[in-house]
Amino acid sequence: MKKTINIPIGSQHIALLEPVRFKFECENEKIVGVDSDVGFVHRGIEKACTTKFKYDAIGYVVARVCGLCAITHSMTYTASIEKLIGGEITQKAKYLRILLLELDRIHSHMLCLSHTCENAGFEAMFMRIMGDREDIMEIQELITGNRVQFDYISIGGVNRDIDAALAKKILSKLELVRQKVLGYMDEFTNNWSLSLKFKGVGILTLDDAYRFNAIGPLARASGVQADVRNEIDYLPYNEIGFKMQKHTEGDINARNLIRLNELLNSIEMCNNILEGLPEGEIFTKLRGKPNGESVVRFEAPRGELMYYVKANGSAMLERVRIKTPTFSSIPAFSHIFTGANYADAPAILASFDPCLSCTAK
Amino acid sequence: MMKKIETSIDTLKKDIKEFYDYKKWHFLTLNGVALEDDMLEIQWIFSEYEVKNKIVVYYAHIKYDELIPSIVEIIPSAIISQREIVDMFGVEVEGSQKGLYLDEDSQQKPLSGCSI
Amino acid sequence: MLTSFFKALANLFKTPKTIDYPLTPIAKDEKYRGVIEYNQDECIYCLKCEKACPPGAILFVPVDNPPINEKNKKGLKYHYNPHLCIYCSECVRACPKPQEALWQSNKKGHIGIKDDKINDDWFELEELKK
Ligand code: SF4
Ligand code: SF4
Repeated sequence: MKKTINIPIGSQHIALLEPVRFKFECENEKIVGVDSDVGFVHRGIEKACTTKFKYDAIGYVVARVCGLCAITHSMTYTASIEKLIGGEITQKAKYLRILLLELDRIHSHMLCLSHTCENAGFEAMFMRIMGDREDIMEIQELITGNRVQFDYISIGGVNRDIDAALAKKILSKLELVRQKVLGYMDEFTNNWSLSLKFKGVGILTLDDAYRFNAIGPLARASGVQADVRNEIDYLPYNEIGFKMQKHTEGDINARNLIRLNELLNSIEMCNNILEGLPEGEIFTKLRGKPNGESVVRFEAPRGELMYYVKANGSAMLERVRIKTPTFSSIPAFSHIFTGANYADAPAILASFDPCLSCTAK
Repeated sequence: MMKKIETSIDTLKKDIKEFYDYKKWHFLTLNGVALEDDMLEIQWIFSEYEVKNKIVVYYAHIKYDELIPSIVEIIPSAIISQREIVDMFGVEVEGSQKGLYLDEDSQQKPLSGCSI
Repeated sequence: MLTSFFKALANLFKTPKTIDYPLTPIAKDEKYRGVIEYNQDECIYCLKCEKACPPGAILFVPVDNPPINEKNKKGLKYHYNPHLCIYCSECVRACPKPQEALWQSNKKGHIGIKDDKINDDWFELEELKK
């Protein structure tokens, strides 16, 4: 007689916000095998990039891969084209790019934290974090003019400038958010309903994190020193006070704490940028067509994002390869699920902060 | 810096085994690029932890009907990229089934140079 | 326990975060991205905006009675599709006469759910272009 039963979760499920289907093979309460299907929202963007759009429009196309980390996608693509053309952009444009990237990270981490709360059954906290996230969304809207699809980065610089009045307004809002984040820290470390559900659940050990090539907060919660912001030099992250966050437990609680600490670090970086923003142009026109191959990586809120671009000197590119963070974490996800309780599955899943729109592209 | 190292499908497993130290190298992904004359370039992309801009790419030129060896026993997380390559280029990778993104009735192998 | 009790009590007297939407309007900044506006008297018909637009939301097509403008040698007319536009403002950057011939307003685009033939009309224009 067969000992195990199969329980599916998704693709439409009340505890799951993303179009993904997991098939768990369970023995009593324990999960012993996982199978996942991620292709529900495949849109063929890689194909469209090489057949339908010229290279200077693709920055806007790839931003539509994902709504939450749109800015990281256009940033990474733009950086690879700038590498191939061989132009330099101004220092001010670089700082403004980091500012937007970090604001994006803040609102994305807040969204993830609120969902972990919701999946632990803590609705009030979910509402609180989502309400506070609105401040960040407003800042982004004031800077870029859009709420979600910023379309802020273009090849050669950024699209809009910040004036002194706006900078002051942003600084005061960021201070408000910082106070709130300190409040969440307290809640996430001391509140019983959160720590009961999160501590010691969904553990990824350090060795497994290396073996399964975990990335982003998932890896850093297990103790891997993997942050792409530390491994690139085309944006001046070292100058503005970037600090790598690290934990060693590797459970859901550690992932939450990593995100909270990153929130504080990002807010600090944004403050530093706004206070020391250099004078200068925000846009330089780059001449020439891209030619050659380049691999550019970047740290999206969920981990490392990679673009491979191959061009042949004409306006159409030969190949655009997008490797999204969630996509390369799937092996690590499946590994964590094996051996966990079925009842914990939604909470574990939310702590990965998966983005299936990215994965299926 | 991006460093490209040529390999072939026969020597791939040996090369990767010698090269890959799981605490030093981070495996990024598998990539395919359609070339002219019905050839395909497969790339295995790695980066080094905590070192600035260090990327190593192993690549091999193959024909569409050749079987690509799987490196899952060396790098377990390669499985998902291998399944993607199978779907996107219509090639065969040892031990990887079709159907990660595409269904039976969708247009097959969209990124291969010879499909349309 | 006690702190949470006081917090809950204090929350009763806080103003809500949400706004009463149709009665209180949503605050709108001057720089928000809205539909692209165009002045055909100032345009020099260089078609740079049409080339720059990523989704192809601006089309200049030949018509029978084109707008009167000495620069308009080929008898073209400007068409703009707010439903296709992604408000990226690339066209304004490409335009040699920004703010005079072409500029971005902060107005919301018209909602097209109830229009009929909203796509077909545009496809006809695209056919004319070819
Ligand atoms: S704003 Fe962008 S999408 Fe809209 S018409 Fe201008 S270029 Fe086209
Ligand atoms: S770019 Fe400006 S001047 Fe040229 S056709 Fe467009 S609106 Fe007219």
